[in-house]
Amino acid sequence: MQFGLDDDQLELKRTVRAFLERHSAPGIVRHAAEHEDGFAASAWERLVGEMELTSLRIDSEHGGAGASFVEVGIALEELGRTLLPVPFLPTVVAAAAISDSPDDGVSGPLLERIAAGEIATVALSGRPPVATRVGDVITVRGSIDYVPDGERAGVLVLGALLEGEPSMLALELGADGVEVSPVLTLDQTRRQATVRLTDCSAMALSSGPVGRSAYDRARSVLAIAYSVEAVGAAERCLDLTVAYLGERVQFGRPIGSFQALKHRCADLYVSLEAARSAAYYAAWAVDGAPAELPVLGPLAQLVCVDALLRIAAESIQLHGGIGFTWEHQAHLFFKRAKSTELLCGGRRELRRLVGERAGIV
Amino acid sequence: MDLSYSQDDETFRAEVRDWLGSNLQGEFGALRGTGGSGREHEALELRREWERALGAGGWIGLGLPRECGGRGATLIQQVIFAEEYARADAPGRVNHMGEHLVAPTLVAFASEELQHRFLPGILTGEELWCQAYSEPGAGSDLAAVRTRARIAGGRWLIDGQKLWTSLAAHADWCFLLARTDPESERHRGLSYLLVPMRQDRIEIRPIVQMTGTSEFSEVFFDGAWTAEDCIVGDPGDGWRVAMGTLGFERGVATLAQQIGFERELAHVIEIARQTGAIEDPEIASRIIDAWAELRVMRYQAMRTLGTADAGPASVSKLLWANWHRRLGELAMDVRGPSAAILPGGPYELDREQALFLFSRADTIYAGSNEIQRNIIAERVLGLPRGE
Repeated sequence: MQFGLDDDQLELKRTVRAFLERHSAPGIVRHAAEHEDGFAASAWERLVGEMELTSLRIDSEHGGAGASFVEVGIALEELGRTLLPVPFLPTVVAAAAISDSPDDGVSGPLLERIAAGEIATVALSGRPPVATRVGDVITVRGSIDYVPDGERAGVLVLGALLEGEPSMLALELGADGVEVSPVLTLDQTRRQATVRLTDCSAMALSSGPVGRSAYDRARSVLAIAYSVEAVGAAERCLDLTVAYLGERVQFGRPIGSFQALKHRCADLYVSLEAARSAAYYAAWAVDGAPAELPVLGPLAQLVCVDALLRIAAESIQLHGGIGFTWEHQAHLFFKRAKSTELLCGGRRELRRLVGERAGIV
Repeated sequence: MDLSYSQDDETFRAEVRDWLGSNLQGEFGALRGTGGSGREHEALELRREWERALGAGGWIGLGLPRECGGRGATLIQQVIFAEEYARADAPGRVNHMGEHLVAPTLVAFASEELQHRFLPGILTGEELWCQAYSEPGAGSDLAAVRTRARIAGGRWLIDGQKLWTSLAAHADWCFLLARTDPESERHRGLSYLLVPMRQDRIEIRPIVQMTGTSEFSEVFFDGAWTAEDCIVGDPGDGWRVAMGTLGFERGVATLAQQIGFERELAHVIEIARQTGAIEDPEIASRIIDAWAELRVMRYQAMRTLGTADAGPASVSKLLWANWHRRLGELAMDVRGPSAAILPGGPYELDREQALFLFSRADTIYAGSNEIQRNIIAERVLGLPRGE
């Protein structure tokens, strides 16, 4: 038994961090977030091309590195630290759902495309749209809100009700019958779109007897991806705050020497460490203990979202006036925190799911 | 990252289960669920017998090196033993201080001679130990110790008052922090002495706690003595040894403690179902949070197992102490008005009442919440010290 990251995983973490330090300076993040299309295009090209991060967990047969979700988690956490606006999270979650498909004929070509740099996204929250099957042809109808990075993606992986049963489908966002409308988002570092499907044709990834479990698993993997990413953002936000408290002088001393502020930072650190433990365990469980995912998804998300919200909110307060300005980056973490919470249904819903799945209520 | 147990570990687990199953019965069977925090006085004589049985079975000092009489067990095996022990609802250990604080300190800092003299008594379960650190003026600020010791006639003579010593009346020995250089201040000039408890010059007065029970004592040393060589480390080096001792108070025990917590939480949930309190959304939400947080504490303990840094120890202490205190509050709230009625006199407490009251100590002893936050802020986050 060994919980920590092994040498290869630590090396991956160092490599990704070093890369991101070069390619996601606050100026780059700011420019991309405030730019009309909200996308750090050149950093993304390198993440996919040079670093091959989106194909980490895709098997080697389809052009990937065959790693586990722990490695994906490492990349998510490091990207979370930077708030870099790139469609990494939805792409790797879509890839995970595709690779769960028992139908290699459908999943293989999609995985190859993602390994080659295609952007994918997911629609897994809210009420699933209705799909119908006529002969071999599946079509989907409905409107899906809040699709992360929907404008940029080529492939959409979605949960749908196929003949009344939860199923996992994939469709081409450039196909006939698909209309993608970007929306303006409170959190500019993660853009969203509304996708309208008018009898658009789709492929079945997992349907019939395996449909529901594949749908639940995909939702848990999405929750866990948000959790690990939130830990990265929370860590960076606390680092920045602590550094500021060590520099800012008032009443003739660094304000970080005041116990009233120290104790608040200590409590934030405790919540960060707890969140990290939950997120790492959950990331390991994706491949290491899949039976635990129904509880772990909402559990990790509840803990991690809560930590990020608290840390980001306190970060603004502890920075004082400068923390309220557009110029300072504190608000970016605060907005990311809230968007991450809302994208996963809110803390009340997460708590309800934990209670239900743990058999408490 | 691999969270599965090896075949060797599973074999070890089976051996532990087997031993506990066949020994925790007959007379010892009555010990299940006794002892532990807040109930140290329960069935004490029989628990001492049980400690000897554990010693005879080779289950004390698992992690100590073989040449010191231990088993040289891995960290994971120590966790397995502690978890199986807790799962069997085996009694609270009477010699926690001896096994987990004194023995590793002796191995790390003491001469072979002292090790040979004191380790066997701990490993056989024969000799009980207690801790003499805190004083009326030295609680969170341990370096303010005022108890003095001086050499006279070839032995140490000790004068002073210690506080919050658990099992003082039953212990054979204490480990004591005293000022041996009268000119010294703060961390310098302190020594770590081993002192026999059964002597006329030591007076023990039980402290009655807010629970009405008494697990802790005040201990008065009025010219009490110990042999000149009963010192760990050099004279004046006691602070370093004492900090090493505190450093052993972490890791393995945390994972085992959580099994007891699981049992307590399950009991609270059971009551909430019986009383219907679980239908209340606010109560239900507190219960779910408690369940989720206990899971997270487990992942946290697994992730930081075996690390020697200050951070994880303080994080773990803050997490569990606050959690346990909230569980005490929840236990009362799911009961409703009946929780305010005592089951007997003069001040007998039921299980929930004992949990509610005793858990107020959790955030104070072994480094209060405030001290843990200082440690995290200064040693982990690197925030500047106050003036």
